Order: sequence, then C-alpha cells, then structure tokens
Amino acid sequence: MNTQLQHDLLPTATHDELARQNFVHTLKVHLATKVSPGNKTIYEHRAAPRFAREHQRPPQDRHEVRSVMQDEPYYQMWSTLLRTSQEMMWDSVNVSVERQLPQLRERAATNGKTLGSLTLNPDLAIPAYHTAVDIHCQPGGYHTELGQDDVAAGATYDRAVYIYAMSRLGSLNDEMGQSVVLHLKEQHADFRPARILDMGCTVGHSTLPYVDAYPEAEVFAVDVGAPVLRYAHARAEALGKRVHFSQQNAERTNFEAGSFDLIVSHILLHETSSQAIRNIMKECHRLLRPGGMMLHQEVPQYEGMPPYEAFILDWDTYNNNEPFWGTVHSMDLQKLAEESGFAARGVIQTMIPSALERAQARTEKFQGGDFGGGGAWFVFGATK
Amino acid sequence: MPRKAKGKRPTFFNDPQIDTVMGIVMALAGEVSVLRERLDSVERLAAAKGLFTQHDIEAYRPDDAVMAERERWRAEYLERVLRVVHQELEETDKGETTESYQAAVRAVSS
Repeated sequence: MNTQLQHDLLPTATHDELARQNFVHTLKVHLATKVSPGNKTIYEHRAAPRFAREHQRPPQDRHEVRSVMQDEPYYQMWSTLLRTSQEMMWDSVNVSVERQLPQLRERAATNGKTLGSLTLNPDLAIPAYHTAVDIHCQPGGYHTELGQDDVAAGATYDRAVYIYAMSRLGSLNDEMGQSVVLHLKEQHADFRPARILDMGCTVGHSTLPYVDAYPEAEVFAVDVGAPVLRYAHARAEALGKRVHFSQQNAERTNFEAGSFDLIVSHILLHETSSQAIRNIMKECHRLLRPGGMMLHQEVPQYEGMPPYEAFILDWDTYNNNEPFWGTVHSMDLQKLAEESGFAARGVIQTMIPSALERAQARTEKFQGGDFGGGGAWFVFGATK
Repeated sequence: MPRKAKGKRPTFFNDPQIDTVMGIVMALAGEVSVLRERLDSVERLAAAKGLFTQHDIEAYRPDDAVMAERERWRAEYLERVLRVVHQELEETDKGETTESYQAAVRAVSS
C-alpha cells in the first residue's frame, strides 16, 4: 500500500492496526483484479444462457442480469467477500481512531485557526437519506456525534477512504478534486472563479485542490455532518489551506443568490435522494451568478452501458448501503438540469480523465468494490 | 464507536451449509488469535532476554523494498487462500461439469 501523507490530523496506526489495514487493502485489490472479472465469465457462460433458455431472449437490463446472477455461487462468494472486506475496512480504522480519539479531538481543537473558518449549526436537521442507513456501511455515518467536539467520523473517513480506493485517490485523497480542476484548466482555461463552493465536502479532501488551483478565490465548503466538518477544518489548517467550512444542507444554504462563480461536488449526488437532488440543482441555480458553472463529479451513468456492466456497477445499491446509487445513475440529468432552471445548451455531461497519471492496481473498469479503478470520472454540470 | 452499520446486512447464500462453513472459518480465526498470542510471548521473551523490545517493533519503519515484498507476499497469500474461488472459474473455462465428470466415471466403469 502506498503511503498516505501523515498530516497532523490523520490518525496514526500501531503495528497491528496497520497490518490489519494492509490486509484489507490487499484483499480489496485481489477481489477487484482477480475475482470480480470472473463474474463476467460466469455471466456469459452460465447465467446469460440460463436466462435465454428460460425467456427466449437475453437479459435486457441490470435488474434482469441481477435476477440470474444472484443464484450463481461464484457471484455469491465474490459478494460476500466484498461485503466482508467493507466491514473489515471500517473496523480496522474504527479501532485505531477510537484508541486515539482524545488526542485527535485535542489536535483538532488546538490547531491554529488563522486561515479559514468553521461555522457549525447544532440545529441543522440531518436528512433522512443519511439516517435511514449508514452510507457505504460506515458505522454511524457522517453525522453521529460521540461527545463534545467530536471528530471521529472525519478521522475514520480520511483513513478509510484511502483504503477504500486502494490508494488510487493519491496521498491526500484529493484525486477527484484534482481531476475536476484539470478538466477546468484544460477545457475552461480562461475561467477564473472568484468564489467557489464545494457541496457535501466531508473532510475537505476534494475541496483543497481548488485552493491551490485558484489562489485568488475564496473557497467555501458545506456538509451536514459536524464531526466531519470539525476534522475538515482542522485538516485544512494543518495543510495550510484557507477554506470556510459551514454546516449546511446543500438543498438550501444561507448564501446569497448569485454569489458563486463555481459550485462543485464530488460523489455527493448518489448519497442524496430524488427530492434532494432536485433541491440541490435548484439551489445551485440560485447560488450561481450568470455565467457561473456547476460541476458534479460521479461514477458514470448507466445509460448506454451493456446490461452486465450496469449490473456490476450497481452492486453498491443493494449490498453496500448506497440506496440512491442505482436511481441517480439512471436519471435523466439533462431534464433535471433544465427543470432546475439551466438552459438546455449549457448542460454538461462528460467523462474526464483522472489527474493521477499512474495509480497502483488500476483496473480501467467501473465495477462494484473498485472505486477509482476506472482512471476516469463522470461529470454532470451546467453553466448558468 | 458503533461497530454495526445501520441497515439490514444482505445475505448471499440460501444453502444452510454456508453457516457450517462460517463456523469453520471462525474457528480458524480463533487459531490465528492463538498464533498472535504465541508471537506476543516470543516478543516478550525476546525483550526479557535483551534481544529487542516491543518498542523496537513499533518504531520499525519498513523501507520501500520491504513494503513491496510484503505486498507481494500478501498477494500470493490471498492467491493461496482464495484458490478455490479461482478453481470454479477455471472449471467453467474448461467446460468441466458434473455431467462430464459422470461421463468419466461411466467411461472407466463400463
């Protein structure tokens, strides 16, 4: 496993904690590169012919693929191993964070708050799409508070997402933000945003690339979870980056209308809901000045994918506590943008290359349990 | 900290024998714990005899070559542990079925 940058806030690991995390990393690489591809072989040799025998036609969508694959022992074994690896990942980090929680709280509290700011709102209602199930099986989700000034969810996320992506998000987990920045620099070289908002920022790992890319800009970031925001603020300060974090729901913020040039999000949309995504798009439209741009980075949409490819990417919807994953990835985003006030011609739907030229164990595939393996991302956005 | 993520854990197998297999897996996990404890004893005895301490192990930072070697070892280790998973795929590739095995039984028995 490549080394994650040990900034002041990142939890440390003992010899055995690190060994456990290393095991999960290697297990995940093995599943993604050696076991998961076999599902396609099983599908082509066994499951698809079985479906064709029963229905006199091939499976037409991911649901029909799933209906035959879920009876295949190979798929069942891969699924149970993948689910188990996810649980082992959180557990391997949880134990480590819990051991050093008082020190982490202290470091987050005493870290010099001279650059950016942190504004929390204890009265903010945590949306049902975060409380119904714990997203991607992180026990307690982004929002659960374990006492005063808690940072546990943030510390856990910062370390776990590095393992989850098998270190392919880079030493600062910033590859998603870097990739959107690279797209902006290459495709919109003259665009100079003065005010930037990152929605659903979690620990600010995707936010910081915008601080470096646009040093003159004021960068703001919102999330609903207080523990991740406290951590994000302290992390940004430790890394010397000026960001103004606030605890707000992206569906409706307290920023003034027309006050942003650029609004971004990174893997936020799939963790919302059908109603929330509509609210978020309308809020983006309200917040952008004329000529401003929104860019939401995600995994690719299912449209145009062969049924098997959509099925294998859809695994998380049913098995990794990502209930909105399948719905959002099959939504009509053009229509969504237009209904939110954006002009049809201003809508952006494109694949962008990863800013990390080389990453360990990249599979060039979009499949469940292989986050960041594709070496590219989908971006949905619009100019106002 | 909570250990269980809220939300019903999915199950993948209908066959109750999987429960039996999981019992065996957990017994093996227990044996790993026993091995770990034995290693702990080795470390404590080494410290007591002035060879090296637990602090030395904690302070040890493997260099890139060692990390790469460990990564290779873990990858090979998983190849061995999960051999049976790959075997199923290889059987499919080679068209080995229950019927073809029974045909082999018949062929040598008639």
